[in-house]
Amino acid sequence: MGAREDEYDYLFKVVLIGDSGVGKSNLLSRFTRNEFNLESKSTIGVEFATRSIEVDGKTIKAQIWDTAGQERYRAITSAYYRGAVGALLVYDIAKHLTYENVERWLRELRDHADQNIVIMLVGNKSDLRHLRAVPTDEAKLFAERNGLSFIETSALDSTNVETAFQNILTEIYRIVSQKQIRDPPEGDVIRPSNVEPIDVKPTVTADVRKQCCQ
Amino acid sequence: MDATASSKFSDVDEYGFKRGDNFDYKAYSKFMDGYLKTLTRRRMKWEAILQQKDFDLSNIDAKLKRYIRKGIPGPYRPDVWMKISGAAAAQQLNPNLYKSLLELEQFNKEISDSISIDLPRTFPDNIYFDTKKDSLYNILIAYAHHNRDVGYCQGLNYIAGLLLIVTNDEEKSFWLLKHIVENIVPQYHSHNMANLLRDLAVFKELVIRRVPAVNRVVENMGLPYAVIATKWFICIFAEVLPVETVLRIWDCVFAEGYKIVFRAALAMFVTHKNAILECTDIAALANLFRDVMIQDSIVTDCHGFINAMFALRLKRSELESLRKLAALNKTTT
Repeated sequence: MGAREDEYDYLFKVVLIGDSGVGKSNLLSRFTRNEFNLESKSTIGVEFATRSIEVDGKTIKAQIWDTAGQERYRAITSAYYRGAVGALLVYDIAKHLTYENVERWLRELRDHADQNIVIMLVGNKSDLRHLRAVPTDEAKLFAERNGLSFIETSALDSTNVETAFQNILTEIYRIVSQKQIRDPPEGDVIRPSNVEPIDVKPTVTADVRKQCCQ
Repeated sequence: MDATASSKFSDVDEYGFKRGDNFDYKAYSKFMDGYLKTLTRRRMKWEAILQQKDFDLSNIDAKLKRYIRKGIPGPYRPDVWMKISGAAAAQQLNPNLYKSLLELEQFNKEISDSISIDLPRTFPDNIYFDTKKDSLYNILIAYAHHNRDVGYCQGLNYIAGLLLIVTNDEEKSFWLLKHIVENIVPQYHSHNMANLLRDLAVFKELVIRRVPAVNRVVENMGLPYAVIATKWFICIFAEVLPVETVLRIWDCVFAEGYKIVFRAALAMFVTHKNAILECTDIAALANLFRDVMIQDSIVTDCHGFINAMFALRLKRSELESLRKLAALNKTTT
């Protein structure tokens, strides 16, 4: 495991969503621990991991939340979207149905996440070339039309996993840092749209500790 | 592996699960030195009561309860679970149910697909389980069509899978699964997971009452109880804690019901109080819950853990009133 990640300039919460079995947990473990598990287990409930990266000399700590893909688990995950500034919406390039369901996941985000959340469409399992069911161009076009960024990844052979997270975190960083120039940082806390009594306080979207020290 | 070479224990446990890389053979060996003797003693005692003519396992008196809390010997588990839970009686009332479900003309494709996705993802670390995947599919598809409110809920694969490992019997596993889902933790696995949400709120309240300092840490760090405990409740600790510990918990669950689930969850917090209080950030805390405390020496010592569970002060009436409160809070927020 990496060093203690106490030092950071920004803390961004990013959620992983998408159908069951598309490889969300392996994307998470590839990015945060550089591990891939062929014998992966189904995720029950919500998992959570962090990793810090550098953008423009700033340390960005990503808090990444992973959840069960099954629809009913949305019951416990409304809290899950709270404070999220980014979402990786994952489908399996070898399973067309998981791509068709992207629309459903977008609706889910619209209903429960902040309207400014940055969304990246991720076609995972790009190593399964001979089984491809979703053409890259089609997904790219869909992403463009819906204002999402797009990338294909393979958690198995690591292709683009780093890039995917780097890109979305950089995109969030640009938005947040520009916003801070425009607006005072307070009042930027995202309000949950659907508060469940089981949860605690919201995660702050951007840590502005450094500004206080300047 | 060095650790196993110097240990009398294999890197696969008696149920076929590969032990993790961090498995502490030394601590386990020390624990087993004492526990094996306990197991032998227990087995003789159980043999004696099971040989008694007309001994009624469905009537759980103080003595039987004490026996169960001390652990049902492995070979007796399937039958004893069936009888103490009432699953055997339910089966007797409807002896053809399981078979008739499997003979349905057609299975719902969506359900069948979602079960199939989870089959290879159920106990991949168990060396025997590959041969049981067809049986697991049968149990899950039969149950999903029997109880349409629940259908298939991810997590049931782990419960049914462990039942199958213990009983080695599809039909018994089906009936025990049905008992858990409908009688022990009803509405945890249904589409709205209503009672799971309620009980997570109840559990949080219990932590506030019993170990307030621990709750403060968890709350200050912003780690939701849903993240910590959903899998504990949904799977009743299957695929969370070491197998023998789960089975000891299940012995009591089948005899005493849902209260045991709260006892186990609360014991996780109480026995790991210091470790939780030492966490300085949310990542460390999440890691403690997810990786560390589910396999450390506290939970591997199943005997000690069960004792810790029953040392807790916890009454059904308190849980019931907290449940009412949680339901009330939900309607007012």
